[in-house]
Amino acid sequence: MFSLIFWGFIIYLIVRSWGKPKKVYRWLQEELPRWEEKMLISREQGDTILKFYNLKRIDPAMKSDLTKTLSLIGAIFLGLGVLFLVGANWQKIPGLTKTVLLLTVTISTLYAGYLFTYIKEGYPQLGKSLFLLASLFWGATVALIGQIYHIPVSENWYIFLLWSFPILPVAIFFENLYTHLLASVLLIIWNFLYLSTNQAPNYFYPLIVFAVMLSTAKGSWPVRYINVMGLVSTSVYCPFYSYEWLALLIGAGLLVYYLRNPAERIFLYSANVALIFWTITFTTVRDVPNFLFLPVLVLLTGLSYKDNLSKNMLLCLLALVLWLNLTLHSFSKILDYKFEFSVSLIVLHSLLGIVFYIIGIMSKNRGRLFFELYKIFGYLLTFACVYLLSFPDVLKGAASLVNPLYLNGCLVLAGAIILLLFYEFRQGGFKNKLIQMELGTLLAAFAGHMLVLVNPSAVILNTLIGNTVLVIFALCNITLGVELKKTYVFNLGVAIFVLFILTRFIDVTWKLKEKSLFFIIGGILILVLGSYLEKQRRKFVERISRNE
Amino acid sequence: MNKKVVLLLISLLWITLAVGLVKSKEFLLKNGKSVLLETLPADPRDLLRGDYVILNYKINTLDLNLVRSEKSSYNPGEKVFVRLEPRGRYWGAVAVQTKQDFQKQGDPAVYIKGRVKYYSHFKENSKMTVDYGIGSYFVPEGEGKEIERNIGRTKSAVDVEVVVGDSGLAVIKDVVVNRRSIK
Repeated sequence: MFSLIFWGFIIYLIVRSWGKPKKVYRWLQEELPRWEEKMLISREQGDTILKFYNLKRIDPAMKSDLTKTLSLIGAIFLGLGVLFLVGANWQKIPGLTKTVLLLTVTISTLYAGYLFTYIKEGYPQLGKSLFLLASLFWGATVALIGQIYHIPVSENWYIFLLWSFPILPVAIFFENLYTHLLASVLLIIWNFLYLSTNQAPNYFYPLIVFAVMLSTAKGSWPVRYINVMGLVSTSVYCPFYSYEWLALLIGAGLLVYYLRNPAERIFLYSANVALIFWTITFTTVRDVPNFLFLPVLVLLTGLSYKDNLSKNMLLCLLALVLWLNLTLHSFSKILDYKFEFSVSLIVLHSLLGIVFYIIGIMSKNRGRLFFELYKIFGYLLTFACVYLLSFPDVLKGAASLVNPLYLNGCLVLAGAIILLLFYEFRQGGFKNKLIQMELGTLLAAFAGHMLVLVNPSAVILNTLIGNTVLVIFALCNITLGVELKKTYVFNLGVAIFVLFILTRFIDVTWKLKEKSLFFIIGGILILVLGSYLEKQRRKFVERISRNE
Repeated sequence: MNKKVVLLLISLLWITLAVGLVKSKEFLLKNGKSVLLETLPADPRDLLRGDYVILNYKINTLDLNLVRSEKSSYNPGEKVFVRLEPRGRYWGAVAVQTKQDFQKQGDPAVYIKGRVKYYSHFKENSKMTVDYGIGSYFVPEGEGKEIERNIGRTKSAVDVEVVVGDSGLAVIKDVVVNRRSIK
């Protein structure tokens, strides 16, 4: 390493003294091209002057580029030499000396960043990179001090705090995106280390993000996204540690940010998610229903309608279903009923799906927003419940559990379905054939599930009913697809039918002692059925295309 | 704001923070009271992570039947002050409380600040684990193996000299292996 230092120094000296003529002659050689450029003298006059003093014409750019390059190489050699020297003797260097060394390098790098950004022209990228490097060196300085004084690993949150805060001025005042991103990531790490080490909610993190990070992010979407994701992941963490007010603070803050910047939809979606986790935390901590969530949900739904945001509306629907489950769970605990996976719970969700579907039809008939979303959400929810209730094991396991709250809930929803259907029918809302068929399918599910609810312990009968409803779903979609010449509806029907066959096959053969039979028969079935169905589907699709 | 002024202010901030952190630790080392703590054997496979050693002390686990306690139960994350008194070669825990006592002149005890990590109560026994912020010791690469071997070997092979300040904050001053300082 000594030789590196030596040669670095030699190169530096050589370059500085390379072919050095008298100062005044050198000045003349450098100034002449500028006079010619400014047309103070002509090129011929310049040649005459140089010849008079017996000087050669030099290309200043080439000379200075060469000088710069060699200086740079010399500086790199010198720097590497110092690094190697320090590295080899690092352990022998006293701790405080190491700290001073590293701090000096840090401040120098910061100054270099300033120099290349604001003073020297033509090196903006270098300047930005040096600011980031200085921020990283600052982190190394803090970590080194932590190491010297044995700050334990359990207090790493403290190290990250000391790293992230002091680099914020670099990010903000020098408008350095890289440092801003680094600070955002460091703050997230600080937050989670604090939460896990101190086992206490960290209210400072969201306050810092709202007050400083997001407000200074300006047009930088990576900074905004990272900080928003940091907040959302913190809210996801809250239910596990019962930090209900932290989740509420995050949700409320994000909502306020959205109200101030309606173009930034990410704030609304993340506020929705954070508030969902708030309600989960609230209910699990206090064991009481969170009625405070209802006005919040109304506000979120209102914003979805106002700004026509279907993604947010979907989140609102999911939030509603979740809130309903949490509320019923709380009431079950209060009334000392068993809250477990039961037939009435599945039927309740199925009926809820039908209600959503009818709301979708009503919305469509009145030209309101999100009718497709309501219909699809309702249809899928009911289908999922239909599928679950086709399993004999599910019916067996869930049959014996009776929760009067769910039974009453099912009756209320059943009543609501009948009333809504009656009302919409009188308004002439079911004229469309597609809607009639879909509704018919759902009503078949409704009828089947009410029968299951009446006698939950009749497992064999209920299995038959459940599977019949599933087959009706499949056949209705296939028929509808053919009737209305809609390939996606037809494909959906085929997919449901295949799912039914495969599920029942697995149900029956998996219990066989000889597992190989399961795979052999399954393989043959899939090949045969698959090729038959694919042929039929292609024929149908071709027929539709020809007719069009 | 003028960029040069910003540069100067940031540089000043970084230097102040670094110097402040060093000064605070140096002040503690200079003015705090030195206590020798006994370490407990730990699974050597888990000891060395990277280039620091995890230290587990006898005073990390407090049996509330054996030490005087202000409360009957504690919550994880709660700040506590543990009174240490000399017990032969080492200092041991004699009492735990949530507020620091005003130290009387001539009182040989020290109060070390910690945070409750775990608390358990089973039948008549109440125990809690407290973290004092002195659980890691950074070593030059390769030198941790000796410490690792010695902690696993016998109870008294590795002792740690810790300095405790008036506020209860503690910092490791030295690690003694087989009665020989590794510094």
